[in-house]
Amino acid sequence: MTTQTQTQNVSVNNFEQCLKCSICTVYCPVSAVTPLYPGPKQAGPDGERYRLKSKDFFDEKALKMCLNCKRCEVACPNDVHIGDIIQAARIKYSTHRPSLRDMMLANTDLVGTMASPFAAIANPVLKLKPMKAVLHGVMGIDKHRTFPDYSSRKFESWFKKEAAPTQDQYSKHVSYFHGCYVNYNYPQLGKDFVKVMNAVGYGVHLLEKEKCCGVALIANGMPKQARRQGEVNMQSMRKAIGQGHVVLTTSSTCTFTMRDEYAHLLGIDNHDVRGSISLATRFLHQLIEKGEIKLAFSSDYHKRVAYHSACHMERMGWVSYSTRLLKMIPGIDFVMLESQCCGISGTYGFKKENYERSQAIGDSLFQSIKEAAPDCVATDCETCKWQIEMSTGVPVENPISIIAEALDVEKTVEINK
Amino acid sequence: MGGGLSGLTAGIALAQAGKDVALVSAGQSMMHFMGGSLDLLGSDPSGNDVYKPLEAIATLNSKHPYTKIEDVSRLAGVAKQVLERVGLATTGDTTVNHWRITPIGGLMPTWLTVQGMATVADPDQMPWHSVTLVNIINFLDFPTKMIAAGLRDRGVQVDVKAVTLPELQVLRQSPTEMRSTNIAKVIERNDLIMKLADEINAQVGKGCDMVMLPSVLGIASGDKASQLLRLINVQAAYLDTLPPTLPGVRMQAMLRKHFTALGGTFITGDQVTGGVWEGDELKGVTTAKLEGDVLKAKHFVLATGSLASRGIVADYNHMYEPALGVDIDDLGLDRTTWAKLDVTEAQPYMEVGVATDAKLRCQRNGKTVANLYAAGSILSGHNSVKLLDGAGVDMLTALQVANNILNQ
Repeated sequence: MTTQTQTQNVSVNNFEQCLKCSICTVYCPVSAVTPLYPGPKQAGPDGERYRLKSKDFFDEKALKMCLNCKRCEVACPNDVHIGDIIQAARIKYSTHRPSLRDMMLANTDLVGTMASPFAAIANPVLKLKPMKAVLHGVMGIDKHRTFPDYSSRKFESWFKKEAAPTQDQYSKHVSYFHGCYVNYNYPQLGKDFVKVMNAVGYGVHLLEKEKCCGVALIANGMPKQARRQGEVNMQSMRKAIGQGHVVLTTSSTCTFTMRDEYAHLLGIDNHDVRGSISLATRFLHQLIEKGEIKLAFSSDYHKRVAYHSACHMERMGWVSYSTRLLKMIPGIDFVMLESQCCGISGTYGFKKENYERSQAIGDSLFQSIKEAAPDCVATDCETCKWQIEMSTGVPVENPISIIAEALDVEKTVEINK
Repeated sequence: MGGGLSGLTAGIALAQAGKDVALVSAGQSMMHFMGGSLDLLGSDPSGNDVYKPLEAIATLNSKHPYTKIEDVSRLAGVAKQVLERVGLATTGDTTVNHWRITPIGGLMPTWLTVQGMATVADPDQMPWHSVTLVNIINFLDFPTKMIAAGLRDRGVQVDVKAVTLPELQVLRQSPTEMRSTNIAKVIERNDLIMKLADEINAQVGKGCDMVMLPSVLGIASGDKASQLLRLINVQAAYLDTLPPTLPGVRMQAMLRKHFTALGGTFITGDQVTGGVWEGDELKGVTTAKLEGDVLKAKHFVLATGSLASRGIVADYNHMYEPALGVDIDDLGLDRTTWAKLDVTEAQPYMEVGVATDAKLRCQRNGKTVANLYAAGSILSGHNSVKLLDGAGVDMLTALQVANNILNQ
């Protein structure tokens, strides 16, 4: 009985484990730059005590400032899911209806579908000063931001024509969740992924149906739509897993959302799928460790690469897969950057009310990148890429693209036969 | 296993010697409650202040972790060097303790103190006549009345003052976030050091020979903290605040940075969930976040801390080591013997920790595990609250374990 009382007395998100030690406040990037945010302890477990008594204690304006970076959770010595407590409160109590801007920013796949066919027009137009002024003034999208370019040819279209026909020749197979960014903005990353996987003897397949993971919908107050899209993704993934595939991604945030936020915030039952969703760098590292594949790199590849730990990558605890993989490339001069938030947090930094805060949060990271003077920054998150490129001018690549660039394909194919 | 003072010290020593080291840390460490001083042995078992730590260490009972250190004096010197190498210059050594000032105005014997903190060489002879104690207005983690009372009891004249800047007043809008670390971030980001120095200097009256400030500067390195001290017109030094304590946060950040610069892999926000055993040998460990993957290594160090860090766990019936299930020196099943009702007494549960042999190797089911070592506060046989030996045990056992591994 006594043991039961102790072991079963665990509340949602480990809420009751908070000792009020305040360590989380040391690592909150938002409270460090604005006193308007009450900080993770106050917004999370402390505030929750009051919200449990009455929803009148829900402070929408304050909680909206949370980046959902989860750095408080990584810092917590007692495994309290502080970020989850804050986001769950927003989902539960918010009565705020998302604005047109928030809906546009959140619907990355819908906007991408509309913009891609007009990429040649949309890209330069979105960069024009008058257009930025309109977006800033009318829509509330900050004028300093530039939308990532839309690709005129979606990754899916490229894949179906150029890659799909040859994938069945491989004996082993994986499914690829490419995400909105690869599909609409940067198909090159998807191509790099296919190149690497094929070189080590794996055929790549797309999911029967892929929807945006929904991370931006959650952040912008559209949990219902996020849940619907999440269910579609889980359905498609179940089919792929049924065929013996693992589902790989090249985005830390999509991965984190589908593995953890689906269950924690959206109530999607993903327990049968979660373990089969993985990041491409993790999958490759595992195969190398098991001795199932080998990578051969070209001898004339030389680059100084600084690794930035994206927040959700850090929360998943998977940073070491990517960094150890990069360190395997002989031509890389590797620099580990201090782990900190870059400030963009998906769509957060695009909103004009957040712009200054967003840049202040990332400031010391930008400084340390400039000091490290790398040829490129490596990170597993696409939105960190936009933020760091805009703020430092240093190019940012996904580790998979760096591996694809450094890879000696012929030799790799040969040694994996 | 463990990202606190002990785990990082062992990690640095091993990485420095060319080993490929991965360190798993479950959240941030107890160093966030650590001030600017490291204790070696501040009190003997009867509660008397220790002046000469090496002499007192020689008289400790055979259960104390120091009895497993081959040469305390030498390793204490190495520990000081490790701190210096990461950029933390300290005053003090093993020949004689000096005294640190606690956040509530008491004096305690200590071994090393980060430069810039106020210390006292002899508690019976306070080195200052007139101290100006300057707080930041509305900063609540620095109880000036208690500190002033403590100093006055020792014959020092104390003036209590408070200063602020507009940027710091803004911070006050969120009172729970007005912590030492956020104050440091605001001052450093907005380059307010000169302005702050002007405000402080304006408060210093005639005859003042020491200005004491709360430790609210220098989060990533000590540079900004030293800069402010140089700008004060009279001698000035910092005092520890209530947690989160900035010197400890800084120490942890600098140790971690040095560890990664040496090529170490720091896995954060994760925890060890079990061992992969082959007979009596540990082949690898599993973690919560790496799921099925096994971290394989030749040697393992368990430095996950004591009860406060969940390196040791107590439930209603027993105490145990949760990560690998190694043996502990416990207090039996009678719970009433675990604690004394008077909280100021030495608490028996404080001495509970993992059992180790003379080489600091762990035991499992009564048998020594040849490649698994323990270091730091997870070790049994000492009460760091009573003996004031916490940091010394953390660093020295970590360095000893590193030596034991390298000498194999």
